[in-house]
Amino acid sequence: MFSLLLTQAIASGVVTGCVYALVALSLVIIYKSTDVVNFAGGELVMLGAYVGLLALTYFEVSYAVMFALAVIAVFTTGAIFERVVLGTIVGRRHSAHTELVPLVVATVGFGYLLKGLVRAVPYTEEVRRLPPLVSGPPIFIGEAILQRHDIAIIAVTVVVMAALTVFFNFTLTGKAMRATSQNGRAAALVGIPVKRMRMAAWGLASAIAGIAGILLAPKLLMTPDMGVVVMLAFAAAIIGGFTSLPGCVIGGIALGIVQNFVGILLSPQAIAVTPFFVIIVVLMLRPQGLFGEMIATKKV
Amino acid sequence: MEGRVYEVTRANRARRSATRDASGSARLVRALLKQITVPVSVEENPLALTTHAQSRVNDKDPKGGGCMPSFNGVRCGLVGLAALLALAQPGLAADPGLTDNEIMIGLFGPLSGPLISFGLDPLQAAKMLYEEVNNKGGIHGRKIKLVIEDDKCTPNDLVSVVKKLVTVDKVFMLHGGSCTAAVAAAQDFVNRESMPMAMLNAAGDNAVFPPTRYVFGAFQGTQRVYGAALANFAVLHLKSKRAAVIVHDDDYGNANLKTVKATLERQGVEIVAAERIPPNINDVTAPMLKIRAAQPDVILSGLYPAPAVLFAQKYAEYGMTDVPLLQATQGIPSPATFAKNVGNPDALKNFYHTWSFNDVADEAVRQKYIKMYKSYYPDRDPTPFFVSGLPSALVIIAAFEKAGKDLSRESFVAAMEQIDVKTDIMAGELAFAPDRRDALRDVFVVRFDGTKQTVMPGVYTWNGKDGL
Repeated sequence: MFSLLLTQAIASGVVTGCVYALVALSLVIIYKSTDVVNFAGGELVMLGAYVGLLALTYFEVSYAVMFALAVIAVFTTGAIFERVVLGTIVGRRHSAHTELVPLVVATVGFGYLLKGLVRAVPYTEEVRRLPPLVSGPPIFIGEAILQRHDIAIIAVTVVVMAALTVFFNFTLTGKAMRATSQNGRAAALVGIPVKRMRMAAWGLASAIAGIAGILLAPKLLMTPDMGVVVMLAFAAAIIGGFTSLPGCVIGGIALGIVQNFVGILLSPQAIAVTPFFVIIVVLMLRPQGLFGEMIATKKV
Repeated sequence: MEGRVYEVTRANRARRSATRDASGSARLVRALLKQITVPVSVEENPLALTTHAQSRVNDKDPKGGGCMPSFNGVRCGLVGLAALLALAQPGLAADPGLTDNEIMIGLFGPLSGPLISFGLDPLQAAKMLYEEVNNKGGIHGRKIKLVIEDDKCTPNDLVSVVKKLVTVDKVFMLHGGSCTAAVAAAQDFVNRESMPMAMLNAAGDNAVFPPTRYVFGAFQGTQRVYGAALANFAVLHLKSKRAAVIVHDDDYGNANLKTVKATLERQGVEIVAAERIPPNINDVTAPMLKIRAAQPDVILSGLYPAPAVLFAQKYAEYGMTDVPLLQATQGIPSPATFAKNVGNPDALKNFYHTWSFNDVADEAVRQKYIKMYKSYYPDRDPTPFFVSGLPSALVIIAAFEKAGKDLSRESFVAAMEQIDVKTDIMAGELAFAPDRRDALRDVFVVRFDGTKQTVMPGVYTWNGKDGL
């Protein structure tokens, strides 16, 4: 019986952890490319879910079209925010030392703005749920039970990770984004359109958050406050390393499994505090995370 | 406990009743003089020195004052004169928010924010009943005027709203609050101000247990009522011997769990698992696995809507649908939405929930109130939870009727304490008493298969003891 508990805890933890990992990927991409910690990451998750719901219920499009529409909408939202708000703030900065603070505060405001806009829609008064990506009888992996949607979450996470690997390593745009993140001035000198790259990075990261929202909405009910999941993504990114894309994925999955172990071996009441406990321990013992580089002091 | 609050408010009541008594100015002056000159022991009445008049007397006359010395005599004379002048102007002697043709009520609930669904339709339902009363000429010649505020269901916002209604709008009484924690935060203030408050539809236990003089609530039952109903239904109807319980680790959950344990243990049922989870949990795998491992023959849930949906999904996912799942009302404010969100018909094959209202059992009653709602708000289709705003308004209207033409806050409280009304919308009587501030102790248990609701035989009653 105990082995069954642990097997199921690991299987479910991997699924939950994949969602944390996607949101963490979104945070890390923005951090690596612009040095900004995006506190609106959770609200971009929420936005993706609600755009998906809107597309399904009002426009009655197919699931595939809904998926594409939601991803495009969140990509556009993130990119416009970077260009209009962050670009303006950067353009008016007076001191390089204080540059990051207004940018980070702007992301906090962006999060509240998105939440307020979604709440203004009457349809969001009630708790809602997106239908699962794939439905059907559950699948047994050994003794553990997983829903088909759970398998889809794992599959989408793997696809996103693979696509990002290809994008950053084998495409010109991806390499240009990496160059921009490593040294913006040098990138500009060799002709890379830095502003456009930063905008693209925000759009890409927002789109990943939107995908996480669509995957999360069938499992975790939709409310304008569902973006609180970003705290778990922060924990995942800190565990894996805030500068490491593979690290944050591993951190997310590890966090999902640890949460279930804590729930079973200690108490379900301890599940909510586990991520924060882990954050403190990791920051004390290895501030750069398991796979990250040392964080430069200029970063907020 | 009641003793403490009643002590605190005794001086306020004495002052107010003296002010109202217009039988003779001498009595009024005597009452005012007595209030000012009699020193109040701090031990006897810890909040007595907080009144403005008393603190002034104590500042200027450390010996306790009195009207005989020449300076105090002049002061007492001026106070008496002021009181006589006040009496000469009709209307000023009444409590704030009350005139011969109007009663002003501060009505509030969550009208924005994530918990809007707990408050919007219920508040509109209460408003609708008050408008019905006004359309029929009012109560004892007085029409009800409402000052409506949004409390967002947060303690800070609710307390701010309450203070504004009391001190700025100067309403006669308060009617509002859909969330217990928020209402409980205002409890001290309204008792200190001797301000009657009836909750809109908050059901939490810590706002009515222990009872305080001016706060009335739980018009749709408390967690103790739901917990007792679930436990009694498990024993009497399902013949359960091994029960599992899952609740939140907050006041709601504690009250529910205590009552369930007391009720089940009294009847010889073993509790094989008792899981307490945070309300913001997003994965219920761990508690579900522990419950499954305990092999219960019934599961009792006191979860909120979102975790209740996650739990029902997981319950079906792990193939536990042969074990009846019993859910307390707060997790399923709208059965249709619950079914849609669970999204798996198997999860509702063996599903029951408590329900405080008669609208499921009696279609005519349901249609009556929906028709009334639509006549006032033609553009809005109410959620099923709108009925939760009705009982508190019905009781307040009944108390106004009972208090009669000579209405005051104190006579209103006295009338509320005598309330014992049978309405067409509730599962049982709504009643208060001098030592009771929770209105409803009877609920139905309803079987819900995702589309159809069937009321199970009998009404399940909390005995007033289990879980206290």
